[in-house]
Amino acid sequence: MDPVAGLLHGFSVALQPQNLLWAFVGTFMGTAIGVLPGIGPALTIALLLPVTVYIEPTAAFIMFAGIFYGAMYGGSTTSILLNTPGESGSMMTALEGNKMARKGRGAAALCTAAIGSFVAGTIGTLCLTFLAPPIAELAFVFKPQDYFALMLLAFLSVSVVMGTSKVRGFISLFLGLSLGVVGIDKLTGLQRLTFGVPDLMDGVEMTVVLVSLFAVGETLYVASRFGLHKPNLNPLAGGIWMTRDDWKRSWKPWLRGTFFGFPIGALPAGGAEIPTFLSYTVERKLTKHPEEFGHGAIEGVAGPEAANNAAAAGVLVPLLTLGLPTSATAAILLAAFQNYGLQPGPMLFINSGDLVWGLIASLYVGNLMLLVLNLPLAGLWVRLLFIPRPYLYAGILIFSLVGIWGVSNSWVDLAMMFGVGLLGYVMRVYDFPIAPVLIGLILGPMAEVQLRRALAIGQGDWSILVSTPLSAVLMAVAALIVIIPAALHWHRTRRIEPLEP
Amino acid sequence: MTERPTERPWWIAAGTVAWGAIVLAKAAELPQFDQHAGVGPGFLPSAIGLGLVLLGLILAWQIHRGVSFEEQGAEDINESHVVSYGALGLAAAACALPMLTMKQLGFVLTCTGCFVLVAAAFKSRRWALNAVIGFAFSLLCWWLFRRLGVQLGGFLPIAGV
Repeated sequence: MDPVAGLLHGFSVALQPQNLLWAFVGTFMGTAIGVLPGIGPALTIALLLPVTVYIEPTAAFIMFAGIFYGAMYGGSTTSILLNTPGESGSMMTALEGNKMARKGRGAAALCTAAIGSFVAGTIGTLCLTFLAPPIAELAFVFKPQDYFALMLLAFLSVSVVMGTSKVRGFISLFLGLSLGVVGIDKLTGLQRLTFGVPDLMDGVEMTVVLVSLFAVGETLYVASRFGLHKPNLNPLAGGIWMTRDDWKRSWKPWLRGTFFGFPIGALPAGGAEIPTFLSYTVERKLTKHPEEFGHGAIEGVAGPEAANNAAAAGVLVPLLTLGLPTSATAAILLAAFQNYGLQPGPMLFINSGDLVWGLIASLYVGNLMLLVLNLPLAGLWVRLLFIPRPYLYAGILIFSLVGIWGVSNSWVDLAMMFGVGLLGYVMRVYDFPIAPVLIGLILGPMAEVQLRRALAIGQGDWSILVSTPLSAVLMAVAALIVIIPAALHWHRTRRIEPLEP
Repeated sequence: MTERPTERPWWIAAGTVAWGAIVLAKAAELPQFDQHAGVGPGFLPSAIGLGLVLLGLILAWQIHRGVSFEEQGAEDINESHVVSYGALGLAAAACALPMLTMKQLGFVLTCTGCFVLVAAAFKSRRWALNAVIGFAFSLLCWWLFRRLGVQLGGFLPIAGV
C-alpha cells in the first residue's frame, strides 16, 4: 500500500472514538510508569498481555504504542524536576534539565523537552511511515538464511553492546535461548527440556519470565538495599516559559537529536542510551554558550530528549517490517503480536493493514495527546513519586501475580516466578544485562525455525547459510561485532601488561 | 554502581556450567541430525548447553583473574548499597508465598499476605493497616481483572467460594 494512502486509512482507524480512548489510556499509563520507579514500558505491556487478549488487536496495539511513547515523556519530567530519570534514556536530560530547574527555569526545561519530544516523535513517525513499507517490501525477498543471519546479528549485538561484560551478556543470552527451547519441538513433536513436567510442554511462558525478571527481581533488589531519598520538588512557580532565545537555541538540537535517535534506535541493540549520549556530546561541542553546560544549558535538554523519542520510533521499524525486536520493550511487543497469532513482517502490512496503519497513525495522535497531557500537568505527574514505597512495590508484586497466575493458573508458573525472580536479583547484583535473556527467549525459537528451513532447502549443506549476498554480509558483520572488540581488548591489555609490576 | 573487587562469586560460574551440563545431557537424549531438515531437535539445545558450559568456564577464569562485579544502579536504593538480608528474606518470602497458598487460599488472601510481607521488607511495620490496604487492593484487582476476563480463580477455593 502507498504510505500516504495507508496513513490516511490509518487515521480513519485511529480517530475512531474507542481507539482514541485506548490511545489516551496508553499515553496516560505510559506517562505514569515513566514517572514511577521500578516499572517500565516493557513490564507494563507484559502485565497487560493477559488482559488485552480480550480486546481487539488494533485497540491493544494503539494502547501499547501510547505506553511506549508516554514512558519517554514521563521519564523526562522527573529527570528535570527531581533529578530522578525514570528511564535510562532520560539520564542525559537530568544532567542539564535539573540544573535549569534549580535555577528556577524548570518550566522552560520541561517545555523544550516536551516540544522536542513531540517534534522528534513526529519526525520519527514520519520516517517510520515512509521507510517501513519499502523495508517490508524488501523483506519479501529475504530467504530463511537471510532471516537467520539477521537474528544472529541481533543476538550478538545485543549481547556485546548491553552491559559491561561481553561474557555476562552472552551468558544472559544463552540463558534466554535455553528457556526458549523448552517445550515440544514443533517439527518432530519431541519434548525438549520439559523434565517430564506437563505444564512445560507448551514452553516457558514469556510473560512469566519477563515479569519475574523485571518486577520480582527489582522488588527483591530494591527491598534489600532500600534507602528512600525524599523527592525534593523544585518549584515551578515563577519559572519562565521558553523565551525567544530558548526557541532559537532549541530547534537545531531537536533536529540533530532526531537525526541521531531514529537510525540508532532502528539498529539492533541501538537503544536510547547511545543516541542521547551522542546528542549531548555534540550539543556540548556545538554550543555558543559552553559555559552554561553543567550549569543548565537548554541545548543539553532539547537534544537528548529529542534523540530519546526518535529512538523509540526507530525501534518500531525493524519490529514491524522484519519482526526483529531490538530492545526489551520491542521483544514484548513482538510477543504481543504472537499472542494475537500475528507475525510482524512484510505480510503484516498486507494481511493486517488496519492494525499497522492504525498503529502508525495513533503514534501521531498519541504524540499530540502527550504534549497536552505533559506540558500543563507536569507538576501533577511528579506527585506520583510521593506514593509510599512499601505500597508501590507491594502493588507491583500484586500486578505481577495477576499477570503470572492469570496466564494459566499453573503452580509451575508460580515456582518459576520465584526462581526467575531470584535470578533477576542475582543479575542485578552481579551486573548481568537482562534484555539478552528476553531476546534469546523470544527470538531463539524463531531463529531455529529459519535455520532448519534454510538447511532443509540446502539439503543439509551448511554453506547455504552464507549463500546469498545479504546473509554473507550479515554473517560477516555479526562476526566482526564479536572479533573487533575482542581484538581491541587483547591489543590494549597486551600493551598495558609489560608496565605492570 | 558499586564496585566490589574482592568478591569472587565462583558459584555463579559453577551454576552456569551446571545448567549448561543439564541442558547438554537432556539434549543428548534427542536426535541431533535429521535427514530432511539437516539439524534435529537436539542440535540447538546441545549447542546452547555447550555454549553455557564454555561461558561458565570463561567466567570462572575471569573470576580467578579478579574481575570486578558492579551492582546495577536503581532508584530508591541507598547510596552505599548496604544489603539488608532481613528485608531480602521478607521480600523473597512474599515471592514464595503464592507457591504455598495460591491453590488453597486463592488470589485475594495470598496477595494480601504478599502485600504485607513486601511492605514489611520496605520497613513499614503497620501490620494491621497494611493487611487492610493489601486486602482491599487485592480484592479490587481480583474483581476488576475477573471482569476483564482474566481467570484468577475463586475467592476462597478451599471453601469452594
